[in-house]
Amino acid sequence: MTGRERGVLALLVTMLTAVGGSGCFDESEERAFASPAHADSAAMSVDSSEQARRRALEPGALGTVNAAPVSGWTGPGGEPFEVAIRTRDPLSAQARRFGTITLRVSLRARAPDLGQYPCTSCHLGRRMTLVDTRIADAHENVRPIHPGQTGATCATCHAPDNVELLALRSGERATLDHTYRLCAQCHFAQAESWAGGAHGKRLDGWQGRRVVMGCADCHDPHAPALEPRIPFRAPRIQRTGGREP
Amino acid sequence: MNSGTPRVARPGDDGTLLRKRMDRRRALHVLLGGAAAGAQAVSACTSSSAATEAEREARVLQWQEYIKRNYRFMTDEERGETIDRLERLTKLRTGADVSIQTTAAQPGVVFGYAFNISRCKGFRSCVEACINENNLDRRAATQYIRIFEMKNGEVDLDHADATFEHEVPAEGHFYLGTQCFQCANPPCVKVCPVGATWQEPDGITVIDYDWCIGCRYCMAACPYWARRFNWSAPDVPAEEVNPVQHYLGNRARKQGVVEKCTFCIHRTRQGRLPACAEACPTGARVFGNLLDPDSEIRWVLANKRIFRLKEDLRTEPRFWYFTD
Amino acid sequence: MHLTAFARSALDAATNGGRRYHVWMGTLTLIILVGAYAYSIQVREGLGVTGMSDHVSWGFYISNFTFLVGLAAAAMMLVLPAYVLHDVDFGRAVLIAEAVAVAALVMCLLFVVVDVGNPLGGWHLLPGIGYLNWPRSLLAWDVIVLHGYLALNLVIPFYILYSRFTGRAPAKHKYLPWMYIAVMWAVSIHMVTAFLLAGLPARPFWNTALLGPRFLASAFTAGPAFVILLLWFIRRETHYDISDGAFSKLALITTVAAQINLVMLISEIFYKFYSPTHHGINARYLFFGLEGHNALVPWIWSAILMNVAATVALMIHPLRRNPKWLMSACAVLFVGIWIEKGIGLVIPGFVPSPLGEIVEYRPTWVELAVTAGVWALGLFVLTVLVRVALPIEMGTVRSPHLTERPGAPVIRRFGPRGGTGEQRPVRTK
Repeated sequence: MTGRERGVLALLVTMLTAVGGSGCFDESEERAFASPAHADSAAMSVDSSEQARRRALEPGALGTVNAAPVSGWTGPGGEPFEVAIRTRDPLSAQARRFGTITLRVSLRARAPDLGQYPCTSCHLGRRMTLVDTRIADAHENVRPIHPGQTGATCATCHAPDNVELLALRSGERATLDHTYRLCAQCHFAQAESWAGGAHGKRLDGWQGRRVVMGCADCHDPHAPALEPRIPFRAPRIQRTGGREP
Repeated sequence: MNSGTPRVARPGDDGTLLRKRMDRRRALHVLLGGAAAGAQAVSACTSSSAATEAEREARVLQWQEYIKRNYRFMTDEERGETIDRLERLTKLRTGADVSIQTTAAQPGVVFGYAFNISRCKGFRSCVEACINENNLDRRAATQYIRIFEMKNGEVDLDHADATFEHEVPAEGHFYLGTQCFQCANPPCVKVCPVGATWQEPDGITVIDYDWCIGCRYCMAACPYWARRFNWSAPDVPAEEVNPVQHYLGNRARKQGVVEKCTFCIHRTRQGRLPACAEACPTGARVFGNLLDPDSEIRWVLANKRIFRLKEDLRTEPRFWYFTD
Repeated sequence: MHLTAFARSALDAATNGGRRYHVWMGTLTLIILVGAYAYSIQVREGLGVTGMSDHVSWGFYISNFTFLVGLAAAAMMLVLPAYVLHDVDFGRAVLIAEAVAVAALVMCLLFVVVDVGNPLGGWHLLPGIGYLNWPRSLLAWDVIVLHGYLALNLVIPFYILYSRFTGRAPAKHKYLPWMYIAVMWAVSIHMVTAFLLAGLPARPFWNTALLGPRFLASAFTAGPAFVILLLWFIRRETHYDISDGAFSKLALITTVAAQINLVMLISEIFYKFYSPTHHGINARYLFFGLEGHNALVPWIWSAILMNVAATVALMIHPLRRNPKWLMSACAVLFVGIWIEKGIGLVIPGFVPSPLGEIVEYRPTWVELAVTAGVWALGLFVLTVLVRVALPIEMGTVRSPHLTERPGAPVIRRFGPRGGTGEQRPVRTK
């Protein structure tokens, strides 16, 4: 598969997921997610449980993607180790070694979030030229703090031959769903914690299916520090109804 | 490890003791039930006031609720009956349809929690999720979770601030959250005079809100300030009530009883994460099964530097703090 | 036959009296009614109408409870010299002391009832239909010992008084064993209540081995002090003769107990402040205030001042023998201990909270009104008990059915006053 063909495929995947995922994933996908534990719970509880779960997974469509092994990560003892397999159906998932622990996890898909304004809207050839001839404010929302700190350029992370993909040091390409492969090249301590479950965020279940947030789900890759904010403060309300009997 | 769990007869595991107790209970029930019916008849005959059918039904249900026994000693049948009554009462009073589970602990599961003090930024999203998920009293702004802001270089709760309102994270500070630590050796359980609070097999310390007499001895006994009291009737706007409930968890509480964090028992017993863990925007919260060597919590315990609060008290909290 | 007569004569004694008596009882009733009204508000709105919070989850009610347990226990301790050591002087004080114990217990139980959030769940405590978490919960112990003590203090005096009423001599072998039990029990109610607090490592302020002994010492200070005041009042107002010997002995007990109490207070202060660990932070709040929060500081220092002043006054023999000084010292001691062992003991256990948060406590009017109501009810009970008991004890009231039986046995004095049955001449007014 040439780079060009791969790019087309990636674009197709991106667009398809964007269409399919924009209104949350459909019923068949959701059923496919259900592990035995969840099937039990569905029998025990009511529909609102499903609603509650769906609410928990918003915002953004949740899809899962298959992960690839990450080269360059080393586990304890210097052994190369593998990110777990991620699949839509935990029943068929083969748990693999994962650092020192074995888990079945799903990765929260990143690409659908980016589907609203595909890079190819402007980068017609999907190519990123290094010489700056771009429209002046095309990427004004990108705050290049991380590149500024590290001396990186766009091409350090983005594949110059395909703006839809990330460029790994090994020469491999990763889709935007697999940001961890890129980030882990430097942030190996965080990556190890992430794989173990101590960094990043898991959604949905402690049992059966795990859904894992990718790096770029929480961090803006261009300005990774979390934005400061005013903390939540519980509002006190007036009495809403009659007194409890 | 479970020395803190009161040894009580569960239905079926101690025939003689239980039968005796049940007989007495049965007798009482018959007696009180008869009294209720009598009172009902009298009120029906004498009162010409506009007691509607619903009010009357609610009163009967309320009375039956009053004379029911401790959840721990209930048979499955009795549990089913009280669930029906509680759901019906909620319907009669607020018009809301709620579903109250009685899901038991899964075998081979003991819950544990780890909190990353390097990651927590003090946003209190967990607090918000907890309030919504657990139907916490909005009027008194009850919160199970407390986030303490501390200066770098000291882990000292005495000088920590849990009432910060400024933009977070503040420079030179870190954040440490507390909630019920579901101690393996819970001092609160030991002190309850009526056995209204106990530790479940999965390690969650729960309260039977209908059995609690509100003496608040458990609040004095908790070294982590994890228990809350309903100083007045809790108030949750009808449209914000979470209808997915558990008898031992987030169902409607009443005035004058103690409540506490149950690790979202209605979620975690279904295999889901507690609301706080799922809501945390920084991923500082790790939850899992301590008995599963492949769980995230076990990975944290094995690979991170951890500590617990007030370990000298030998309460054995199942809530660890760790750093990156 | 006798029982009805007894009830009737008790009712007579309680409802008949001079104008001052009626004013006194009327005032108490009024305060009780105000307290009942305040309590009705609390029942309706919840304990939120009190000053308590999740941080300070016990307040004025439990403070009064711990103090009154001491009062109840200490009153009974006068029984020990009277019955066991056959101290004649105490004989007449004992009955009064038992009435004080009953009244104090009634107040104790009421303070617990008004403090709990779900009093209708009280039946959950009953073994059989409920579940009493005994022996693990110290509160379950407390429920048992308080009710047992109340029963003992009701049954023993009733038996003695009823015997007198029916013209029989109370049989020593019947009541003496119970007396011994009651004396032990008096110590136990106090120790159990102290253990209830001292057994909580969550609250380092209470979690000290000295708490039990301190409770006893303060109880033996406040209890006899109160009994002295009461006896003095009774001697002044009635024909009931109480010897000076009883007063001097009670005063001596009070003095010694007050001294021991001060020694223990000093030990506690030394322990908390000489090497100020984290565990002393509650004491710091109590005595000096923390970060500008110092609601209890004036109270505790007044209490210490009162206790020291009264103890010193009692230690000077001429002053102690002077009734005026003795009464003032007892009153001051009573108030001083009430502060030290009530709000000065319970509240600082909660401030700062186990997580170091400082939330102060101030009772609301509802709490104060309910507290006043409970105290008024206790005094009401005390007045009625004393009023019923005294005439029988003095031999002025007997069952009317007795007169029909010639040759009724010689009436023996209550207590170990010797077996002659002779009556001392009583003062007439």
